[in-house]
Amino acid sequence: MTPTRSTFAGLSTWEIVFWYFLIAVSTAIFVWGVVRLVLKYRRGRGPFYFDRPLTRLRRAAVVVLTHSWIKRRDPVAGAGHFLIFYGFVVLFIGTAILGFEDDFAKPVLGWDFFRNEFYEVYSLFLDVFGAALIVGLVVMAYKRGIQRPFRLRYWRPDRPEGEDGRRLYVIGDWAFLGILFFLALTGFLLESFRIAETNPSFEVWSPLGWTVAQAFRGLGLTGTTAADAHFVQWWVHGVAALGFVASIPFTKAVHMLASPASVASRDEQAGRALAPIPADAKPDEVGYGTILDLPPRYLVQLDACTKCGKCHAACPATNSGYPLSPRDLILDLREVAEGALGIRHELHLEPLYGSKESIIGDIIRPETLWSCMQCMACVEICPVGIEHVPIINQMRRRLVERGEMDATLQQTLESIYETGNSFGEASRKRARWTRELDFDVKDIRKEPAEVLWFVGDYASFDPRNQRVTQTLARMLRHAGVDFGILYDAERNAGCDVRRVGEEGLFNHLREENVKAISNCTFDRILTWDPHSFHTLRNEYGAFDVDWHVVHHSQFLLELVNDGRLAPKKPLDYRITYHDPCTLGRYNGVYDEPRQLLAAIGTELVEMPRSRDNSFCCGAGGGRIWMNELKRDDAPRPSEQRIDEALALGGVDYFVVCCPKDVTMYEDAIKTSGHQGEIELRELTELVWESLDLVLPVPAGDRGGEEEHA
Amino acid sequence: MKIVVCVKQVAVLGDEVEFTADARDVDPDYLDFALNEWDSYATEEALRIREGLGGEGDEVVVVSVGDEQVENAMRRCLAMGADRAIRVDYARSADPITVARLLAPIAERESPDLVFCGVQSSDGVQAATGTALAELLGLPRVAVVTRIEWDPSAGRATVRRELEGGLIDLTEVDTPALLTIQTGINQPRYANLRAIKQAEQKEIEVVSPAEQGEPAYRVRRMFAPSKGEGAEILAGGPADIARRIREIVEERLK
Amino acid sequence: MKGTLIVAEHLRGELRELTRELVTAAQQLGGPVTVAVIAADPSEFDVGFQGVDEIVNVPLGRQEFENDVYQVALEALIADREPHAVLLGFTVNSMGYGPAVAAKLGLGFASDVHGLALEAGAVIATRSFYGGKVDAELEFRADRAVVLLVRPTAFAPAADGGKASATEFAIELPSARARHLEFEDAAAGDVDITTADFLLSVGRGIGDKEAIPQFEQLADKLGAVLSVSRPLVDAGWMPNARQVGQSGKTVKPKVYLALGISGAVQHLAGMKTSGTIIAVNTDPEAAIFNVAHFGAVADLFDVAAELEKLP
Repeated sequence: MTPTRSTFAGLSTWEIVFWYFLIAVSTAIFVWGVVRLVLKYRRGRGPFYFDRPLTRLRRAAVVVLTHSWIKRRDPVAGAGHFLIFYGFVVLFIGTAILGFEDDFAKPVLGWDFFRNEFYEVYSLFLDVFGAALIVGLVVMAYKRGIQRPFRLRYWRPDRPEGEDGRRLYVIGDWAFLGILFFLALTGFLLESFRIAETNPSFEVWSPLGWTVAQAFRGLGLTGTTAADAHFVQWWVHGVAALGFVASIPFTKAVHMLASPASVASRDEQAGRALAPIPADAKPDEVGYGTILDLPPRYLVQLDACTKCGKCHAACPATNSGYPLSPRDLILDLREVAEGALGIRHELHLEPLYGSKESIIGDIIRPETLWSCMQCMACVEICPVGIEHVPIINQMRRRLVERGEMDATLQQTLESIYETGNSFGEASRKRARWTRELDFDVKDIRKEPAEVLWFVGDYASFDPRNQRVTQTLARMLRHAGVDFGILYDAERNAGCDVRRVGEEGLFNHLREENVKAISNCTFDRILTWDPHSFHTLRNEYGAFDVDWHVVHHSQFLLELVNDGRLAPKKPLDYRITYHDPCTLGRYNGVYDEPRQLLAAIGTELVEMPRSRDNSFCCGAGGGRIWMNELKRDDAPRPSEQRIDEALALGGVDYFVVCCPKDVTMYEDAIKTSGHQGEIELRELTELVWESLDLVLPVPAGDRGGEEEHA
Repeated sequence: MKIVVCVKQVAVLGDEVEFTADARDVDPDYLDFALNEWDSYATEEALRIREGLGGEGDEVVVVSVGDEQVENAMRRCLAMGADRAIRVDYARSADPITVARLLAPIAERESPDLVFCGVQSSDGVQAATGTALAELLGLPRVAVVTRIEWDPSAGRATVRRELEGGLIDLTEVDTPALLTIQTGINQPRYANLRAIKQAEQKEIEVVSPAEQGEPAYRVRRMFAPSKGEGAEILAGGPADIARRIREIVEERLK
Repeated sequence: MKGTLIVAEHLRGELRELTRELVTAAQQLGGPVTVAVIAADPSEFDVGFQGVDEIVNVPLGRQEFENDVYQVALEALIADREPHAVLLGFTVNSMGYGPAVAAKLGLGFASDVHGLALEAGAVIATRSFYGGKVDAELEFRADRAVVLLVRPTAFAPAADGGKASATEFAIELPSARARHLEFEDAAAGDVDITTADFLLSVGRGIGDKEAIPQFEQLADKLGAVLSVSRPLVDAGWMPNARQVGQSGKTVKPKVYLALGISGAVQHLAGMKTSGTIIAVNTDPEAAIFNVAHFGAVADLFDVAAELEKLP
């Protein structure tokens, strides 16, 4: 017998015609569903197109095919999905090959390739990948049903316990696994019934089907009994498959289309460089207030979410009792999109929403939006490229436009406008910290210098941070660096102002800083404040500036490598290093601080959440300027982080390199009751210590104690 | 319906001070400027009344006395939602009666239904301009108002006048009237920078000052006040200060 | 007559202590001191203090203050008595008519005056500027009277036992365009800060509402009662019953510990006679240091944290 099989064996002509009719219906429903989705996306604000389409497609192809984003932080789930994905793809291609053979190759071209070696290899592939599909599904079922990690639980931080309203999602999740499993199962049964009928030897090339067929034959299922079973199973499997295809645009299965599209749509600078507000925007065009304000690509991203919960698990707000979960924010927006513009709206299925209804209010509460620290943990880890951070930022812009913010934030913003800094101090006090030094710091407005040191608000005005700034100044001088500062002309760089959504104030600050800096002569801009570093480097581009901005961790490393700073004694400390959000996730600077810490001889022990998985201190996104929003009984993000460091055991110092981290963690060490068990050091302070110079330098809040370097 | 709000850009002295050569004023280098806190409450109240009445052509007009510099403060009011701004061009510092004389012709010209002033300015703390202005305009007045219920058609308002100790004097006043507005009457809205920038495009009408007559006083000499005997400075870090405070408390409560 | 005219302050049947202080203030200017009492029944108030040379009862209007009535009465008294200086208290009532009289009659004027002197027959008044951070001496036109609103507690109260007799001064009742309807007492709070021996007082420096429980705790631990300055009441974080200041309560505890309070005039008015005043503020020029007995230029949270730690 020739190794082959007939697709429509045992079917009458009418039955085959009916089958093609069903294909047409299923395809039509599928196409209608996809068209509805595209129409929904097009209702977003702005044109529905992508720049550099080929680059995007290529990147999406690589990401999807290698599963590079999915497997991060959960390789088991990554592997499971990998098996499901390729199982499904191969089976789909297998069916397409059948279709090609039956509907085109044989009748039109007279080319019958579906036999012999081709057929044998084909059968093997499909069996192996079909089995892989089933294994992958079992892994996912285990994850959702038995292991139940935090990220897969539907608990919401912004609704009272038990009121998450997620029953439909749970049903949908299991139904999706179920239908895929059903398809795989019925496919194998179909195969085994077919084999059981005549048991041709070449079918050993379908090992799984062959084995099951033998079992059935053993039970007496052969010949016509098998043929009848095969006939029934053929229709069961066929109708289920067509039904599944038709349902894709309406169920969780839509992520097969939306997720790769979302990956393709991802803006590499998402959250890092925010989009400006057009100068002529009217109040109801500022930021996002209704679902129609979202651009098409964000509407696509909303549909791409598979509720994997990785953003939910990574979010510092979610983990500290704030009423925010990035996952739930995206899902809420998705529900509004569906209920206002989508198929649910089309079919009048509850819950419905008005498309011009405000999404900020009952659906997404202001305190949810204000809870965000804009730390980018969610955007960083999302396997399908959803951009939660800019979406939240745009909604904050609408709140700012409407003046809806707590009084403390309002006061801070007014203060920043009036004085140019978030401390409400007169500008002339900016350089007060220099008075402690026994040398004069160059005024770069008056003389050129190699390095323009942009100090930053916290580094200039906060007493604990002033000590770091002074130490850094001494160190730069010792290394013979030619540097100057802007004195009163410096303004808040605007990073957090922008992240709070006050774009107008950001533009104002930016304008003033550019004016001041452009009049100076320098090679590079140095700062030890990552927020200033980030925004000067990435968000001042509208002014056509060509600045080379460097963080002190990078600069000090350079000085050490060049020999201009010579660590004399290796510090014998066991330390852990906290990656600041705006240095790490925002700018990818993870290695230089670590190399610097190694160069001064410390023993670095990494916390479980480090590098791109660093856990925000809680000050970001302007939160340090706002009222407390978390539940009273939940520990602060910074306190949790100190606990994380202490759990490492035997750590002398918690090392940071951001002024807000200094403030937050000095506080957290005290408030979490761990004073004396661990101490905070800023990077500069450790480097200074390693230089072993004979100068007394107070290094840490020890109530006036002095410590010799 | 029109409400005129008189606003002041106040001077804020930091923690260092130097005086001018003639020792009659502070060296302006040591001053920062801001909208008077009371006036932001007054502007907000005027805006709320306008929003409450919701009529066409209702206006909130802000007026101030000063040089070009004070337009910053006025733009904040415009950004909050005021319709027009008028500045009386006058560069010198002035006592409250003189300011009232400079404001009066403008306020009169506008024929407002209500005139609001802040109770006082945070730099001068005279609490006089409003009442003096009311007199020059011949308007009934109530000073230190913490709540307004205005019935335009009846030509009167019921206001709460806040006396010492938090005691409220419920007062009925004929309108048009001038009211001086106390802090806490409302929560002034945030004027976002976009609105402030848009306000910068708005024309501020500048008028030349009217006859001011004699000033109410003349500063003879300005100086740093004596700290009072025994303002003993507690030295050291926070821990030392805390210890000393505890000692003092224990001793004085014996 | 180159004398001084004082208008007595009274409320709900009680003469305010401030009236006595005005008499002492008037002594700085020399010349006869006249005290006018304006009320429906002025004889209810005894203003015969030491230093008062003449009492003028003006039976007019209602028993409670109405600004038009007082204005007309004062203008008539000035026309009749031609005083050198008119002294009123720097109070809410006076704010309602004092400046009006000065504007109408073209008189000299200054308010919140805390120092008075007579130099070569001219009145020199001392008041603060720039939010209380600097003082200034003011001079006035010699040919006109001057209306001065005097800061409460700036002068010592005059004692009883004066020998002045009262005369009546009748004026036609003007129509009052602003009319007193009734009083509403401030809500009584859970705690009466005026009876506390030790007050821990916080102001704007604490930043936000969430910091309040921390200071309530600290107050408890120190055995103090927590009080606040006005901005915290304006913001709705604490009830008016806890407010120290002119529009709140006047307090005189044995110890007043002020953390992060700059010392606005009306706040100082409410606490400056406290036994021992300790102030902590990061601004060395803060006006509160002018009245404090002990001062520390430090961050209030740092000091509070250290106080927390003491056994």
